[in-house]
Formats: sequence, C-alpha cells, structure tokens
Amino acid sequence: MAILDVSDLSVRYAGTGREVLRGVSFSVDAHEFVAIIGPSGAGKSTLIRCINRLVEPRGGRIVLYGEDVAQMPRSKLRETRRTIGMIFQEFNLVNRMSVMDNVLSGRLGYVGTLPSVFKLFPKADIRRALEILDRVGLSDHVDKRADRLSGGQRQRVGIARALMQDPKLLLVDEPTSSLDPKISREVMGLIRGIAREFDVPVLCNIHDVQLATEFATKIIGLQDGIKIFEGPTAALDRQKLDEIYAMEVL
Amino acid sequence: MNALALRVEAVAAGRARRRRRGLAFAGLVALLAIVSAHTVLVVDTDWARMGSLGAVMKSVARFLAVDFSLIPQLWEPVLETFMMACIGTLVGAILCIPVIWLGALNVTPSRWIGYPFGRFLMTMSRSIHEIVWALIFVSAVGLGSLAGILALAMRSIGFIAKITAEAIENVDPKPIEAIKAVGGSKLQVLRYGIMPQVLPVVLGTIIFEWDINIRRSAIMGLVGAGGLGLTFHRQMVMFNWPGVTTVILAILVLIVIGEIASHYVRKAVT
Amino acid sequence: MRGASPTREWSRFRFPETPIRFLLLLAALVFVGYAFVYLDVRIERLAELLSRLGTLLAERYYPPDLQFLATPRYLASILDSMQMAYLGALIGILLAAPLAWFASYNMTPSRRFLYPWARLVIMGCRAVHEMIWTILFVSILGFGMLAGTLALALFCLGFAGKLFSEEIEAIDKGQVEAIRASGAGHLQVFVFAVLPQVRVAWTGISIYTWDVAFRAATVVGFFGAGGMGWYLQRHVQQLDNERVAAIILSIVALVLVSEILSAWARARIMRGK
Repeated sequence: MAILDVSDLSVRYAGTGREVLRGVSFSVDAHEFVAIIGPSGAGKSTLIRCINRLVEPRGGRIVLYGEDVAQMPRSKLRETRRTIGMIFQEFNLVNRMSVMDNVLSGRLGYVGTLPSVFKLFPKADIRRALEILDRVGLSDHVDKRADRLSGGQRQRVGIARALMQDPKLLLVDEPTSSLDPKISREVMGLIRGIAREFDVPVLCNIHDVQLATEFATKIIGLQDGIKIFEGPTAALDRQKLDEIYAMEVL
Repeated sequence: MNALALRVEAVAAGRARRRRRGLAFAGLVALLAIVSAHTVLVVDTDWARMGSLGAVMKSVARFLAVDFSLIPQLWEPVLETFMMACIGTLVGAILCIPVIWLGALNVTPSRWIGYPFGRFLMTMSRSIHEIVWALIFVSAVGLGSLAGILALAMRSIGFIAKITAEAIENVDPKPIEAIKAVGGSKLQVLRYGIMPQVLPVVLGTIIFEWDINIRRSAIMGLVGAGGLGLTFHRQMVMFNWPGVTTVILAILVLIVIGEIASHYVRKAVT
Repeated sequence: MRGASPTREWSRFRFPETPIRFLLLLAALVFVGYAFVYLDVRIERLAELLSRLGTLLAERYYPPDLQFLATPRYLASILDSMQMAYLGALIGILLAAPLAWFASYNMTPSRRFLYPWARLVIMGCRAVHEMIWTILFVSILGFGMLAGTLALALFCLGFAGKLFSEEIEAIDKGQVEAIRASGAGHLQVFVFAVLPQVRVAWTGISIYTWDVAFRAATVVGFFGAGGMGWYLQRHVQQLDNERVAAIILSIVALVLVSEILSAWARARIMRGK
C-alpha cells in the first residue's frame, strides 16, 4: 500500500511565472527508499519541499496516509509536518545551540508551546534523544555547540533530529552535496540503515547517480519539471540515464 | 538500561542547572526593575495631583486635534530646521578632518598622545547630549540658529569621525599595493587605492548622520538655538495643544522627507 | 580574427543617469549656499568664534562649583536619572523584542496585519525626539520621574526595535526552514530558530540602548522629568553659571563612565560567544 501518493503535482514560481513542476505523479510504498535524480534545475528540490508544503503547490494532490497535504488547513499541516522528518543539504542545524537542543527540537511539534519556549522537554524525550545519538554515533558530542562539529557529524545530528519526530516518512534533500565522498557514503548508509531499522520510507533527492543506484530501491528521474522515469533501480539502464540527463549543460 | 537512565538524569540535571542560572539573572533584572519602579511610582509620583485615569485621558485627548491656522507660520521654522541640519552636518564633517587624522592608527602623527586624544574627542562629542551642546553654544554665541548649527556640528563629529577612522584603519592594503606596483604616485594611490574604499563609507555615514540631525535640529529651539523647537515651545506655553500636535506633525513630515532622501542618496553613493 | 564583433563603446558617463546626478548635486550645493546666506552664517565669524570659544567658556564657567555635586539632593538626582534610564530602557527593550519580530519582513507571523502596524509603531517612536516625548508626558502626567521613564521607554522602543528587526532580517533561512518543517508553531520557530541567531547581537544592542537611554536620562529633567537635568534647568534659569558648569561636568563624566562600562560589557560578550 502506498504511504505517499502524489498525483499531477505542479508548481509555478510566483516571481518569474516559470513552471517548475508539471503534472508529476508517483508513489512511495512502505519499506521503499526512493531516489529522485535529474539535472540541476529539474525541480528535485522543489518536489521534496512540496511534500511538507515548505513550497506551495499550484495544483495536484499529495496524499500522505490517506490525507491530502496540499489541501490541509494550516493547523492540520503543523500536525502532519511533525510526522515528516526532513534532512537538509546544508544540515540546517541551529548553530549556536547544543547537539542535544538541536535533536530535541525535533519534538517541537509534539511538546506544548509554553514548555518548549522554556526548553522544558520531558525526560522521555531526553532518553530517546540519547538513544538516537548513540545510534548515529554522536554520544560523545551531546553538549557541544553544533557549529563546532564537522560536516559529517552535523548531518548525523540532522538525521537524529529527524528521527526524534517518530517520522512516518523521511524527506531527504541532497544529503551529501556538502560532504566529501567517503563521508557521503557513510551518511547514505546510515540513512538507509535507520530507515530499515525504524521501518520508515525514504524519499531522497540526490544528484550523485552512483549513490542513488547504490542505496535506493526505486528511482524517479526528473527533467525540466517532468517525470521521465519511475521504476526499480535495476530497471535504470544507460539509455534511460542519458534520456534523463540529456538536457544537462555542463 | 540503568546506564542510560543515569545519563538521562545527568542531562536533565544539567538543563535544570542552566535554567536556574537563567532564572537567577532574570530575577536580578526584575529586582532592579522593582526598586526603580518603586522610586518612580511610589516615592516620586504625586498620584493625588495626577487625578483619575479619566483626567489623564482627557489630557491626552487635548492633543488629538490639528491647528490648521498655524501651518502658514510653520514654513519658515521648517526651512530653518532643515537648513540647520544640513549646515550643521556639513560643518561637523569638515571639523572631523583633524579629529580623524589624529584618531586613525595608521595615519596619526603620534600614537601615544595624538591617537588617544583623537579618540577622546570622538567620545566627548558623542557623550554630550545635543541639548547640552546647545546650551553651551547659546551661552557662547547667543540665541538663534548659529548656536543650533554649532551644537549639531559638535554632536556629529563623534560618529562620523569614529566610523571614518575605523574605515581608514581597516583599509585593504592589496589595492594600494597594486597601484604602487603599476607605478602610481602618492596622490594616485590616494585617489585609486584608498578613496574608493573609504569614500563610500564616509559619505554614507555623513548622510546617516544628516538624517539623525534633522531629528535633533527640531528640538534645538527648545533651548533657544533656532528651528521648530521654538515654535513648539511657544505653542506649549500658550496652551495651544492642537498647535503642539501640528508642530509635531510638521517635524514628522520633515523626518520622513529626510528618511526618503537619505535612503536614495545612500543607495546612489554606496 | 576577421569580421570580428562590432566595437562597443564604454564611457564613464552614462546618459541620462549622469546629467541627472550632476543636476541633483548642483541643486544640493546651491541649496547649501542659499542656506548659508539665509541663516546669516558667516564663515569668518565661525572660525574666529571657535578660536574664541575656549576663552569665552573659561571666563564664564570657571571655576565650576564642584561642591554642589556632593549635596545629598543632587546625589539623589543622579540615582534618579539612573533608575529612570534603567526602567525606561528595560520596558523599551522588552516591548521592542516582540515588536521587532512582528516588524521583520522575513519572520513576521502576519505580513498583512502585524507587520505594517509594528513597523509603524517602531518608526513613530523613533521619529519623535526623546525630549519631545518628555515634554508631552510631563504635560499629561505632571512633573516627575514617571513622565521621564515613559518617555525614555518609548524612545528605547523605537531605538532598539529598529536595530532588533534589522538583525532578524539578516538571519539564515535554512535554520528557520528546518524548525518549521518539524511542525513547530510561530512562537516555537521564533525561540528555536530566530533567537539563537540574534541573541548575541541583541545583547549588544540592549547594552547600547541602555547607554543612549542614560545619556538622555541625565537631560530629561531639563524639561521637568526628574533627575539631574532638573537642576541643570533651574541653575541655567538663575544664571548660576558655576553650578551649571559643575552639573554639565558631572553629566559628561557619568556618561563617559557609562560608555566605558558598556563598551567593556559588549567586548566581553563578543569574546564569550
């Protein structure tokens, strides 16, 4: 059964009027690791950001666990966002906060406004945070300020933060663009491992085709806002790859 | 699991400790505030004389009217206020030159006496309130706009000189080196190496200060130093409350003009 | 290469920008010249004046009546000025924080309603000089520290509010995006994504605001609001120049001390964070 079902999604930038996504439809099932590939400017980042409505779609449906995210009122949207974990290209950690505070901030959708404003999180959350930090291998850095960590470490904090949300879906936006090749592979492995362990489907936007084919179960190819390919990783051959990247100008 | 429970306690305890420190600081701030509020509200205020809230509201309502008949009389003071701000800023910028020369480390002739003196002059200029400067100059040159101009000039020196001196101290040596390398003379180094870096900052600062001086210029008249301040004072002593509001509105219009002008000129310059 | 691209001209002077700029500059200079004439500012007189200034002030104001500064009533007024400044700055800053949040274009929870009103309040408080606020409040509430405190509060609101909102508008969007994506509400986004980024700058601005408030607090008494300024006004009126000199000296000295302390505090904060 499909966890996420996207039909006829289209996005237009208000400023330029350019159509960034045109009638894109795909689905993400349980246990899947879906990678979106395509040349730069294809709309991969925009697509990911539509799922939790960080970008407002112009048309189409985004059905997550039976509810259409695109039509939700803002209050329901907040509730839904807390079940979607997101991992970012530039890590997007709050640099001046400690690792622990950054990870705990994943629970903001669940903790009441007043206690969270005073940084009062229940002990159960602290326990969970420590467990997750152990899992991603950062137990020695719990009280460090986020900006004192290396790139790979920061991304792992980002993964931990997403996990804290008890997510039903993981959105991943270019997780390795800011990391060197060896660390990139480790991070991708960590994401896949965690997705399997906690049984969370992953929708990942990635420009490195090699990594995509290595870690994903299904590939979606995007070009100039249109879906050109959707299929299991094995079905992605040289010819289809050329089609997807045909327009790319180096 | 027991080890984990211990770590949770440790983290929770650490967070609680930090929270307590934050609360202690907030408590100190609040304590000082209560002491001050006590002095202001209990010791100093004569609540009986102030009357009820209704009476206070009535006092406020007095100002909620405009005296249109006053407007024709406002043109001259408005013009005078604006001109005072312009000339005051200009004179201040010129008087800055020796202060900057003294107060920039890489230019000053004397590191141990001249430089501290230059910085001292900058600080003095900024520490003395424009009203105090105005009082000094009214006493020295008499009533009128000249006192206001001089007061504004002296008040402006501090900021303009400080920013300019810092810009000169932080000048990037590489373009200077490049100009020297292609055989430029000292004047050319100044014109093509230093000025492009420093001039936009200086001009931007002068215009910024000019904008603030319009605001200051409007109150110079309160102590006899020219401009709208005198009109304001007159309306107050005549108890013409709508007139007071009208003068304030005139000041606001001047300030808005200044803000718009300064925004565009700064964009053009920097 | 034969048949090369057509030659392009480069000129330092572009039409119509340059003539317009030139005309505006000329207009400004003409205006300034006219102003000199209109206000009867004579430059030779100016120069002569400034050189005479030193002797002029010395004759009239020397020696300053320093003993007056030690009288208990004057010392109490110094404390009054400090308390007015503290309370006024505190109220102003506490109100400025949420207002600045509403007045920041990138982070305001409501661009159509809260944003314009918050901007208006901040700009309104900034535009009116603190002395005018003082006179208005004295007229409504009577002489005393309450008028002064409220006037300073409004002044600080405008002063800090603008600086605070400028800091908010310069923050990194990515951190905000991440906190929003986890389902946080507006206030949570402010506390977890905005405050940590602006915290250091805001602390420096707060100290700067106190500094400016204190400088104003020493003088607001001149217009009836309590503190040292009141004695200044009284003795100016009585033409008691030696006392006036002493009071001015004490004001300058105190403001200098306050500036040194706040500069030290701000430097420490920059180092610590």
